[in-house]
Amino acid sequence: MSLSTQQLSVGYHQKAIVKHIDLNLPEGKIIALLGPNGCGKSTLLKALARLLTPMQGEVQWQGKALHKIPSKQLARQIALLPQTQPIPEGIKVKDLVAYGRSPYTGFWGRTNQADQEIIHQVMQETGISELAEQLVSELSGGQRQRVWLAMTLAQDTPYLLLDEPTTYMDLNHQVELMHLLRRLNQQGKTIITVLHDINQAARYCDHLIVMKEGHIIQQGLPTDVLTRELLKSVFSLEAQIHQDPIAKTPMCVVE
Amino acid sequence: MLLISWLSLFTWSSITISPLDALQALYQFDQDSIAQHIVRDLRLPRVLVALLVGACLAAAGVIMQGLTLNPLASPSVLGVNAGAALGMALVSTITPWFGLLGTTMAAMIGGGLAWSLVMLLGSGWRTGNEQGRLVLAGVAISALCAALTKALVIIEEDQASAVITWLAGSLTDARWQTFDAFWPVAVVGLLGASLLSPSLNLLQLGDDNARNLGVSIGFVKLIGSFLVLLLVGASLGAVGSISFVGLLVPHMAKLLIGQDHRRFLPIAILLGASLVALADTLSRAIIFPMETPAGAILALIGAPFFIYMVRKKTL
Amino acid sequence: MKLVSYFFILSLITLFLVIANLLFGAVSVPLDSIVDAFWDHTNPNHFTIHEYRFPRIIIALLVGAMMALAGALVQGVIRNPLASPDILGVSHGAGLAAVIYMTFFPDAAIEWLPLVALLGSFLAAIILWRLCGQHSTTVKLAITGVALAALYASCVDFLMLVKPLEINNALLWLTGSLWGRGWTQLSLLLPWLVLIPAALWLAKPLNLIHLGDEHATSLGTHTNTVRLAALAIAVGLTASCVAICGPIGFLGLVAPHLTRKLVGGRHQALLPATMLVGAILLLLADLAARTIDPPIELPAGIMTAIIGAPYFLWLLLRSK
Repeated sequence: MSLSTQQLSVGYHQKAIVKHIDLNLPEGKIIALLGPNGCGKSTLLKALARLLTPMQGEVQWQGKALHKIPSKQLARQIALLPQTQPIPEGIKVKDLVAYGRSPYTGFWGRTNQADQEIIHQVMQETGISELAEQLVSELSGGQRQRVWLAMTLAQDTPYLLLDEPTTYMDLNHQVELMHLLRRLNQQGKTIITVLHDINQAARYCDHLIVMKEGHIIQQGLPTDVLTRELLKSVFSLEAQIHQDPIAKTPMCVVE
Repeated sequence: MLLISWLSLFTWSSITISPLDALQALYQFDQDSIAQHIVRDLRLPRVLVALLVGACLAAAGVIMQGLTLNPLASPSVLGVNAGAALGMALVSTITPWFGLLGTTMAAMIGGGLAWSLVMLLGSGWRTGNEQGRLVLAGVAISALCAALTKALVIIEEDQASAVITWLAGSLTDARWQTFDAFWPVAVVGLLGASLLSPSLNLLQLGDDNARNLGVSIGFVKLIGSFLVLLLVGASLGAVGSISFVGLLVPHMAKLLIGQDHRRFLPIAILLGASLVALADTLSRAIIFPMETPAGAILALIGAPFFIYMVRKKTL
Repeated sequence: MKLVSYFFILSLITLFLVIANLLFGAVSVPLDSIVDAFWDHTNPNHFTIHEYRFPRIIIALLVGAMMALAGALVQGVIRNPLASPDILGVSHGAGLAAVIYMTFFPDAAIEWLPLVALLGSFLAAIILWRLCGQHSTTVKLAITGVALAALYASCVDFLMLVKPLEINNALLWLTGSLWGRGWTQLSLLLPWLVLIPAALWLAKPLNLIHLGDEHATSLGTHTNTVRLAALAIAVGLTASCVAICGPIGFLGLVAPHLTRKLVGGRHQALLPATMLVGAILLLLADLAARTIDPPIELPAGIMTAIIGAPYFLWLLLRSK
């Protein structure tokens, strides 16, 4: 197991939000973190990306504590797309995407031929090639989200962490993004994403982790995890589980 | 207040004055006593001017804070002082000396222009959460006016000394004629401020509520601004740039009395008067027998308070 | 490439201003005799050029560049368009420390002045940090800085009024002027130039900090270390400039902004370009200050305030 947690407690201002979690994140899967607001799913994700320092326990990558790994080396293994992005002034799209290569470049941040190819490729993949010369601050919200995704992809890491990536997107872009994540997964990336929409998670993800009040309630395949009882106990929701007519994945319908 | 005034009459003088002399000068004037002459001709007008200046600046601060709903609003913070200084400098360097009335007018016009610019740029008329912006606009305008004033002072060197004394804000030169020119304006301004205070109370509820209660917002703001200019212009014209009284005193009064403008305005006026008189007394004491301008002392007291206010207030 | 042409044009303007500064002033020196006047001791203009204008121009170049660089660092770290060493009170802190030093130890060597200023500006930075904490809003940070600057300024005023005998020395120095600065002051400034490569070294991590802490950490940056290093360098740059010229207002604010408009926000381009822009602005300000009403000189700090304060207002209007 490459990424795991041991008795991990983490939170803000001395107050633990994630409590004593032991977790192994299966490699090569699309993993969704689910749960009601305030359950600690984003906090857990940030701890996995070493944005938060554990209060107790630790996050391990290949059996080594995260904070003991040099940050530049770790940045070549784990990339994170946070929930909200700043709007940097005076930065062109291609420059921003190129920043994703910084774990690989020298002190002045010069990109070489190989870097340029990766940058070019991720811009195509995310459909922003024609925006290259524009300023990030002049893009629409949806375009900007894709630019940030491209920057994270340019980091070229085996692990990709996303915090509610679909929340502010139009429906068609949401579907596009989930398909893109699928493709990346097939190329061998492990993807860990916080999602809001249970059905979206069930349809596109291989492994669901359901949290409540800082603890993990249930994890496993979507078909095993999504049950009437779970929806009631975790989300306080009276719902039926049906099969998605197209993808054949479980789907919850609220009563 | 009376106590401080009385102290100020006899303490720290180059020629010894007894406390008794100070009182006698007022009630049983003795033609032959030098001490009593000093009290009557130098000290008394000086104290009176100090009291009036304090009163005017405090009242101006109350009005400004009431109009903008901004606890940091005051003549020095919102650029009125610096604008007035620039007006003075322009009049006294470019055109010849106008006498007290001319400079007072110039101070009023300069201060008025600076303040309207600040209010426009800092969107001060839209009462709401833009409080910090207003203050920063005031600071920038102050910096601009100060730079222009300095430039003028350096270029027109022969007229400069008057402006420099003025900038420091000292009561050393306050005489009976200063007082004579000053008091009518001050009294009008203070009376106006008292009349305005009930409307200021209503403005605290927000523009919409105030309008519902039948307050003519535009009118109150116009009159209020005019009164501020009158009060500030008159006091700056008389003694020069004295800062932070307008910021400090309204808060002290509010702490003592509460939020009702009708009640804390008079207290603020009394407090302001005492504060400036005290500062003037201290200004003679600090490096006796030389005088430190009262303005400098007030700035030293005022700036930490300003920082405290910024910290306390969530901007 | 576009970027290269910007650098070329900026360098050209700088060169042009250097020459203009050599030529004009209370005495105009003809263009063809400049080189001669510099080397030839018998030339009537030798003193003006060699002892007076030349070192002064070099100081203007360096101080302009360093102040602008300090501003760019602070803006890069705090991600706050209103931030700069002079708005945050750091310059005035340095100024106060220096005035205290000069009033109480009038006989002490001026070699210590930059270090005293450095101490003052570090104290000012720490005080601001203690008062505001890490999570202050743009405007609150700026107001607290301004309030602190006002406090330091009133302390300086007070000192000058209380100790009028030393006033000349201090006043001359305080106005933010290049007047009378010569080879001695230039030599005081030189050791601090090492801070410039140190600042450029931070270009790449500053880019990432510009993306927000989450991205920066995820891309392998030690955000707090970079922040601390950048602020320390900025404070050092400011202090050394203030020790030579006194606080020159608004330069550290305006120059990085103008530059960002020209070359964009990548620090690899921004930091070198802003040094050029800062140098240009200060040369221009000094030229104007010397030629508006010769032989009277205005302090360059006044000129920068006259340009800078409206620019600050414009920024304030724009920042939402």
